[in-house]
Amino acid sequence: MKFSLVEFSIRRPKLVVWATVALTLLFLTQFPKIRTDTNPKHMLPDTSDVRVWNDEVDKTFGLYEDTIVVGVENDAGVLNRETLGRIAHITDKILALPGVASRDVNGFTTITNVTAEAGTLKVGPLMPGAPKTDAEVEALRGALFGNPLLVDRVISKDGKTTAIYVPLEKGANGAEIANKIHAIVAAENGPERYYIAGDPVARDTFGAEMFKLMGIFSPIAGMIMFIAIQLMFRNLALSIAMMAVAMAAIIWSMGLLIGAGFPVHIMSSMAPVFLMAIATDSIHIFNEFYFRYREKHDKLAAIRETMQAVSRPVRYTALATAAGFAVLLFMNIVPVKVFGGLIAFGTVVLRLFSFSLIPAILTFVKEDKIAQAAANESVELDRSARLLRGIGRIGTDRPLAVALLGVVMMAVAIVGTTKIHINNNLVAWFKQSSEIRVADTAMNQALGGTSLGYLVVQSKEPEFMKRPEAMRWLEGLQRDLEGMPVVGKTFSVADYVKRINRVLHDDDPKFDTIPETQDTVGQYLFLFSMSAKPSDLDNVIDSGFQKANLWVQLKTWDAEAMRQVIHAAQTYQQAHPLAVTVKPAGIAYFNLVWNDEVLGDMVLGLSLALVVVFAILALAFRSAKWALIGYVPLLFTILLIYGVVGFTGKDFDMPLSVLSTLSLGMAVDFAIHFVSRFRQRLAESNGGRSEAAVREALLWTASRPGKGILRNALLFAAAFSVMLFAPLTPYIAVGAFIVAMMLLSALLTVLYLPALVMLGRNWLLDEPKPAAIAVAAHSKGD
Amino acid sequence: MKRWWIWIIAGLLPLQAFALTGEEVMKKSQAAFLYPGTDFKARVVMKLINKGGQERVRELTMLRKNMGEAGGEQKYFMYFFRPADVKDMSFMTYKYPAKDDDRWLFIPAINMVKRIAAQDKRSSFVGSDFTYEDVSGRDLEDDNHVIEREGKVGNRDCYVVKSTPKGTDADFGYKLTWVDTSTFLPLKEEQFDKKGAPYKVFTADEVADVQGIPTVVKRSMKNLQTGHRTEVAYLNTGYNLGIEDSLFSERFLRQPLRKWVE
Repeated sequence: MKFSLVEFSIRRPKLVVWATVALTLLFLTQFPKIRTDTNPKHMLPDTSDVRVWNDEVDKTFGLYEDTIVVGVENDAGVLNRETLGRIAHITDKILALPGVASRDVNGFTTITNVTAEAGTLKVGPLMPGAPKTDAEVEALRGALFGNPLLVDRVISKDGKTTAIYVPLEKGANGAEIANKIHAIVAAENGPERYYIAGDPVARDTFGAEMFKLMGIFSPIAGMIMFIAIQLMFRNLALSIAMMAVAMAAIIWSMGLLIGAGFPVHIMSSMAPVFLMAIATDSIHIFNEFYFRYREKHDKLAAIRETMQAVSRPVRYTALATAAGFAVLLFMNIVPVKVFGGLIAFGTVVLRLFSFSLIPAILTFVKEDKIAQAAANESVELDRSARLLRGIGRIGTDRPLAVALLGVVMMAVAIVGTTKIHINNNLVAWFKQSSEIRVADTAMNQALGGTSLGYLVVQSKEPEFMKRPEAMRWLEGLQRDLEGMPVVGKTFSVADYVKRINRVLHDDDPKFDTIPETQDTVGQYLFLFSMSAKPSDLDNVIDSGFQKANLWVQLKTWDAEAMRQVIHAAQTYQQAHPLAVTVKPAGIAYFNLVWNDEVLGDMVLGLSLALVVVFAILALAFRSAKWALIGYVPLLFTILLIYGVVGFTGKDFDMPLSVLSTLSLGMAVDFAIHFVSRFRQRLAESNGGRSEAAVREALLWTASRPGKGILRNALLFAAAFSVMLFAPLTPYIAVGAFIVAMMLLSALLTVLYLPALVMLGRNWLLDEPKPAAIAVAAHSKGD
Repeated sequence: MKRWWIWIIAGLLPLQAFALTGEEVMKKSQAAFLYPGTDFKARVVMKLINKGGQERVRELTMLRKNMGEAGGEQKYFMYFFRPADVKDMSFMTYKYPAKDDDRWLFIPAINMVKRIAAQDKRSSFVGSDFTYEDVSGRDLEDDNHVIEREGKVGNRDCYVVKSTPKGTDADFGYKLTWVDTSTFLPLKEEQFDKKGAPYKVFTADEVADVQGIPTVVKRSMKNLQTGHRTEVAYLNTGYNLGIEDSLFSERFLRQPLRKWVE
């Protein structure tokens, strides 16, 4: 005898419920182990070329992975005794913080300055202590603006802003240190404004917002869905049942994720909202149950018939959704992979519940309650059902006009998609008013730029970089780069050599050049290394003088900026050939690589999803023709949305590109429901395949399963609309995208499928009868 | 068992060593380590080794002349051989107790002698893990010295002295020095940063008898926080050679006498 999960669940409902509760509790025990990962570097695996190379560069040049930047701004200028006293005081306190790489903190009191005073060469901290007289302040002003190495780095051109660069030891807790720095600056009175920026701060803020999304926005989304379901079905038990199913699936999935040791990342933090929305697919079961119950007034029979009728579409929609997400497992971006696996698992769990937990819960619902609620559920009486029938009728009666309109809109949308601009700007993920954006903007305006890229210039020969031609080449490249609008400040070993040359010659501007011989360069650098901090030289040149590291501070986090820098370097090299190679590195370069991975992933993901979804449609309908028809509203929806994204000029970033793949798997649900139910209806009806019979079956589908589709779309949209109020822009974009996609694809399904079926009915329905019967027979056999 | 008090005294015997104070131990150590002989010459080979094992070599001749008692004024002369492009560079220091040093550098490529400000004794000596202070000593009065305990380095008995800076100018929070109880040479030194974390470790890796004077001829300094280390070997060491005072002048900085620097 064939085992039927539905039968078992109806017969032993209590067992099913308790088993689910027990398993859910088991998954729940994993939750306390939760940890987040907000490091953008982890978007790519640690074995990826760019990360291996960046680590190598960090090691060669003794660079730190994380640096907090503390900006100090005073509208009256920072060069006065009071402000300088505070800066000295703050720096001292920062130096004493555990986890801070104190030896390499760079601010007024610690940064190396090279000067000549009364014939004596001085290499040492710029301002060892706070100035006590105004004359000392003026001397400091002279030192700052007389040294191009310091301007735009620790002092803005207008003298109103300075910065303290605080590198962190490996493994230090950036959030904790940033908080302590917050407390340190908060304790100072005075007119100064303080900005605390840098990667670790951004990451921490990000992590906090992620928890907010999961802890506050997900439950709100749940509440909204609960209210929406309650309004639709007016039965508390049913609403609770649906929410319980969603909650259980979320707990199972997140529990598995956490239990398996994966950290929660930007993508997986959206999982609860996604699963909640996907759970709404079971609305089709409730929808059908109400209609059936009204016809039969026998609860158990209604459950069995409902499950028979919807089992096939529900199973295939689940398959399609799971497959859409599983496609993400082939992506290069780690959090996207994890997210794909997570949602695929959650979808499978949800479908398991559709055939066990939901029928089991339906048996508990009191008959009179259902009768009461179901009273309104009839195609004839229902307002929304009539509206849907009306929309369907436009399709069936004016198929050609509808199709032509579609073609025109698609053409416009395609024009829009060509305007799509791929860009990931991590700082722009925060809202304009957020502390981190404000700090970043202020620092970018005042100083050399917060986004850091490196150009590693390598030779095959040791000591090569000491050659005057190599030094001059570096200098020329810097001047070239500094002419670009996106570049704020550049910085290399050549700057030190020039500075020493000038200072040794009594600060004569004539000597602000690279000296003539390699020995001179070598001796200058040796002299510098005798007095400076070891890191000063290590940061810009390797110990064998074979590789030089050119620092490029960018004024924007846009990935494109680094591409321009790389291009400019290539052009420069062509114009000035030298036996060196130039390789980009640093966080700005990482962002560029990652950005391109997003594009590659999107193309790959979209093609894979298109193939997989087509295969599933063909399998579900046992027909390639029907699969093609089902494809149309789906493609149309996505094209329209992409067109809008293109026209509005919004950055197409990682979350959106991931969605483009997912949306296929989710939006296809409606087509599956519509086509399956229509063909069932047509096969059951007596009118054969006459035009009238087809039209009537289409209109029935538009109004009855169509109502399920509409409810599903509305619930989906309701859940995701919460994300429009989220604090991070990717969440907002995702929310808007999904809301638009669900509503649009529901509408397009109900409008375009009738039109297309009418237009192509001879082609579509002119197939051997057994196929249609097989579909019907198959669905009854379950 | 009436003579129980004898056992107590016997038990206290090692404490006799503590007859010296921390200050006295460090003073004797300074004299043994930095001031032996009236003058001193060595060919110094320094290997600067980074975390990845890459080596850079510095080679120089170091001359030292005491101008008075141990703890008093000294003059240093350094003539560089390697790296190749700094050959003929020379560096001279007049070291004064309780006062900033005077330093001069000769830059042969531009034939220039330049005075160099010595405002920061904490800075690295020619890019090594030794600071100027590590090389030529730190004023004893800058720190409080306390004998923490007795210890051993290898089979040598040592005083373990804790030195804590009185001011804030040091680059360490405190340091522990293992001073040999018989030669008074520092055999090991552990520096801790201002947060109390291990910072740098000095070890005297080989002590040789040079003209009857125990001399550290191999030493190393490792920065525990960066993984960078410096190994130093003293070759051709000699004491009491009669180095003239006139050698320590700008003239000889430009044109050092071969017999002293080779």
